[in-house]
Amino acid sequence: MKVSLNWLKSFIDLEGYAPEEIASKLTFAGVEVDTVSKLASATNLVIGEILTCVAHPDSDHLHVLNVDEGKKYGVHQIVCGAPNARVGLKVIVAREGAVLPGGTIEKGVIRGVESDGMCCSLAELGVDKKFLSEKQVAGIEELPSDAPVGEENVLAYLGIDDVILDLDLLANRPDLYAMENVAQEVGALLEREVKLPEYKEYAKGESDFVVGSITEKCKQFGGREIKGVVTKPSPKWMSEILTSMGVRSINNVVDIGNFVMLLTGQPINMYDADKLPKRELIVREDFEGEYVAMDEKSYPLISGDLVVSSDKVPMCLAGIMTSKACAVTEETKNVIIEVANFNGASIRHTSNRLGLASDSSSRFVKGLNTEQCERVLRIASALMAELCDAKEVLVCKTYDVIKHEKKVIKTSLGYINARLGTSFDLDTVVNTLKRDHIDVKVEGETLECAIPYYRIDMVGEADISEEVIRLLGYANVTAKLPSLNVAQGGYSEAQKNKNAIRRFLRNEGLTEVLTYSLVDEKKKDAFAYLSKAENYKLINPLTDEKEYLRKNLIASLLECASYNFAHQSKDLAIYEISDVDAKNFKGRHLAMVLLGNESIVGQLSTKPYDYYDAKGYLEGILNLLNLNLSRFRLDKLTSDKEEFHPYRSASLYAGRDMVAVFGEIHPSKAKELGFGKSPVVMLELDLEALLNMKSSAAKASIPPRFPMVTRDLAFLVGESEDYMNLRREIMRLDKTIIDVDIFDSYVGENIAEGKKSLAITISFRLEDRTLKDEEVSAVMDKIVGMLKMRFNAEVRS
Amino acid sequence: MEPKEQIKALEAKALEDLKNVNDLEGLTNFRNTYLAKKSELSSLMGKMKEIPAEERGAFGKAVNDARANIENAFNEKKEAIEHKALEEKLKKERIDLTLPGRTHASGKMNPCWIIIDEMCDIFASMGFDIVEGRDVETDHFNFELLNVPKDHPARDMQDTFYIDDSLLLRTQTSAAQAHTMLENEEKKPIKMICPGKCFRRDDDDATHSHQFGQIEGLVVDKGISLADLKGTLELFVKKMFGEKREIRLRSSFFPFTEPSVEVDVSCAKCGGKGCNMCKGTGWIEILGAGEVNPEVLRMCGYDPAVYSGFAFGVGVERLAMLRYGIDDIRRIYANDIRFLKDFSEK
Repeated sequence: MKVSLNWLKSFIDLEGYAPEEIASKLTFAGVEVDTVSKLASATNLVIGEILTCVAHPDSDHLHVLNVDEGKKYGVHQIVCGAPNARVGLKVIVAREGAVLPGGTIEKGVIRGVESDGMCCSLAELGVDKKFLSEKQVAGIEELPSDAPVGEENVLAYLGIDDVILDLDLLANRPDLYAMENVAQEVGALLEREVKLPEYKEYAKGESDFVVGSITEKCKQFGGREIKGVVTKPSPKWMSEILTSMGVRSINNVVDIGNFVMLLTGQPINMYDADKLPKRELIVREDFEGEYVAMDEKSYPLISGDLVVSSDKVPMCLAGIMTSKACAVTEETKNVIIEVANFNGASIRHTSNRLGLASDSSSRFVKGLNTEQCERVLRIASALMAELCDAKEVLVCKTYDVIKHEKKVIKTSLGYINARLGTSFDLDTVVNTLKRDHIDVKVEGETLECAIPYYRIDMVGEADISEEVIRLLGYANVTAKLPSLNVAQGGYSEAQKNKNAIRRFLRNEGLTEVLTYSLVDEKKKDAFAYLSKAENYKLINPLTDEKEYLRKNLIASLLECASYNFAHQSKDLAIYEISDVDAKNFKGRHLAMVLLGNESIVGQLSTKPYDYYDAKGYLEGILNLLNLNLSRFRLDKLTSDKEEFHPYRSASLYAGRDMVAVFGEIHPSKAKELGFGKSPVVMLELDLEALLNMKSSAAKASIPPRFPMVTRDLAFLVGESEDYMNLRREIMRLDKTIIDVDIFDSYVGENIAEGKKSLAITISFRLEDRTLKDEEVSAVMDKIVGMLKMRFNAEVRS
Repeated sequence: MEPKEQIKALEAKALEDLKNVNDLEGLTNFRNTYLAKKSELSSLMGKMKEIPAEERGAFGKAVNDARANIENAFNEKKEAIEHKALEEKLKKERIDLTLPGRTHASGKMNPCWIIIDEMCDIFASMGFDIVEGRDVETDHFNFELLNVPKDHPARDMQDTFYIDDSLLLRTQTSAAQAHTMLENEEKKPIKMICPGKCFRRDDDDATHSHQFGQIEGLVVDKGISLADLKGTLELFVKKMFGEKREIRLRSSFFPFTEPSVEVDVSCAKCGGKGCNMCKGTGWIEILGAGEVNPEVLRMCGYDPAVYSGFAFGVGVERLAMLRYGIDDIRRIYANDIRFLKDFSEK
């Protein structure tokens, strides 16, 4: 909402307040002023008259003028390019040194001819071109023939010496879309009296024209019939006000509609009475079919859309746009004025569905004062009578089924102070509310507050407390800390564990990223191992790229890795924790992508990431959570998708539930994402499930009393033998064996085709005595025998 | 020659020879010559029985003295030579000290995580619970329970991504307010914050993002006033932005609070004098807050005649952008490692 300070001054004395001060007071009171700007800005102007006008000797469009700038400045020669420059024209001259929005005017020579000053258009003074006619934009401004030559206060003469406050209104103050209410607000803030204009009643009797409604969605409809209207340009004062308020002046009839809406906030609509099929306007919502609006476009209306009809034909898409058929034109003689109250939600639905909105519709959507119908009609008809030479003003019988009640809110001084944490006394509170045009009756502890009709935002006690503090200022609130009767608070166990995992990964050199949760069609089912539920799909996505909510994270991290890889970061270790949602599924996953070489190794040596890095991080996380590996089962990852390397990927199960999936990327996926031959390793785990698993309580273990004996063993087995199998078989052979560790696994030179060489360390110990060498050797023989028999192993000496 | 003189001469010769010993090989030769079992000195000891009994004591002592002297000198020499050899060896082990070290740097964090972690730490230390809501919410929790019924014009403030008629991507972490209050069956006092992702149908540009982080705060108990809100936020701002920071409140509007305020913090760059960071005002808007609307309390099962509360909501990206001077919100979600390298937890 743009507010003209010049217009505001006609309601309230602003003497002593700079525009910026007023803006700051409004802003602190919850009415944010976005900008304070001058409508036009120019210095060193004077009104001049063109005495002579000849063609420039060296140009086909420039003129050389002699301009009389009055007694003080005399006559100056000016080179001017405007096509409408001619002898006798009164013009705006920017003299030497004038500062205009476009720059400073200096004396100069244009194509060999001296030029001292510039003849201006309004656009050159900073007036927005949208308020100007084509003619005004194309040439210099043509002042009336009685314009006083030599007058220096040109902006005031033109009525554009205005300052505009641009209000950024929030949803609770639709009343401030009315200039009258802005004046009331400023009056409350500055503690100054507000005088609203009075308008004479011109109505001379009743009209037989019927206005009404057959729908619940319009509870009020008032009308006036204005006869013998003459369409012509608006008077200067009105076009100036409209220009300042950001509305273009069209003609007196149209301008009155806009002016009354800006003044009172109430949209009004006008119909050419002679073009209506019947002497009635009825609001209904049962029309279905095409409707041609004033913009000459056709809109498909459905049942529920509010229309103002005459003989069942829609004449106006209620509150949004009049039809082409009955709109007022320059030829209109007789006008019906409509002041109605349409249901905001209904207007909002129709407006959103058709993508058609107007200043009027947005006011209905935001909410209107329902108590000003007759007054608005009176103002509009008074202006029609005064500015359009209307012959006769007749009153239509108002349709009104609204329950009109004065809104009274009961509260107390105690409530207000308790809510605000203040200690205002009664007088202060009562006086503040009175400033705000609230009528307060004090009865003992109770304050009975009668709310002005336009403040439709105020519904309860809390609103009264807000009025008090926003006018008196929040600096009156003394800060203190709440003391609650609860002892809990802080992080939960799961949150502590989650943060421990995050710290662990970062300490390992991984970077925690944050990616978008919305993905495209292609990524929605990518790497769908942990969560296979159906994705949520948006019904109103912004773009195809962000149409689905992701249910797994690896694809997002791969995209991030791919972006970095393409931007010269070839080695990368990233992870992310995120909620994942899908139909009937809520989860929280942790995913990581390792790319290229292990970053922690440094520059002098490189170690490419592989399967065991992902597995290692997974084991590290389980260890951190005190979850023993034996509670999980490792399985090969089976998938018909070419995402993971089929022989270098695995899944981890807790019972029947898959809790993690990890491994190296499938080469065709790597190629698709542009990673080339760079190693890419991925892990995704069901963090929610792991955090919810019961962990064994930490317990101190006492160092054993008797020494441990270790023996190494190297042997060849078939390449496909899983180490874990061998280990399990060895471990169960004898009670003296306490551990088996692998320290080498080798395939290649010097090893027979189809075989691999394993080297292990076996540890032996008894709890109650020291083991003898012969005992250990005997067990070693058992081990070797078992390996030969069960695994066809060849022991290497 | 008298045996005694013989001993003296031997000792003198040995010490003279030792002077010429310069390496480990020389040392071995010397030991073999003078200190081994078959050395001259040892053979002199063998002559003991030829010595008259009364002189034997003096003879033995002379031999032992000579041996001790030679041994001492030998050990001294040995130590010197070995030390020298060690020095030589170390010299050969010289490395280029300027080559880069083996990196053990911690991983970095997206700046939003830093802000979220820091805020959670601050509020956890103030006794707040950390509640984590879901990204997918119902219209009921995201809007209706927060006093934004269907067709309320305030819905136009937040263009929403819908999954169906009732499911949506939450537009504000305030949705957690209603959950916390409704799920608190005994209607005990509440002190919580809820960090989370939010979504709005905004085209991504330098200052808008369809996905963004928010942290919601809620305190509900008997007698909670704006003064408690101001005190809590003042403490938070000082912990987050520094002891010297101050706050001021401006009137505003949110459907779920009444009164509602915008909270500004004094500019950390200029200290409130006015600079380019605060656009000359000395203050920077950082969050929205207010007293919980009685209607919200009522809908969530807390009697507004008995209970009151305050709530606040902070934009995570905004804080990150202010603190680190980030010019474009899209950088945060690009996760370019060259950008992230500057961010790690304190």
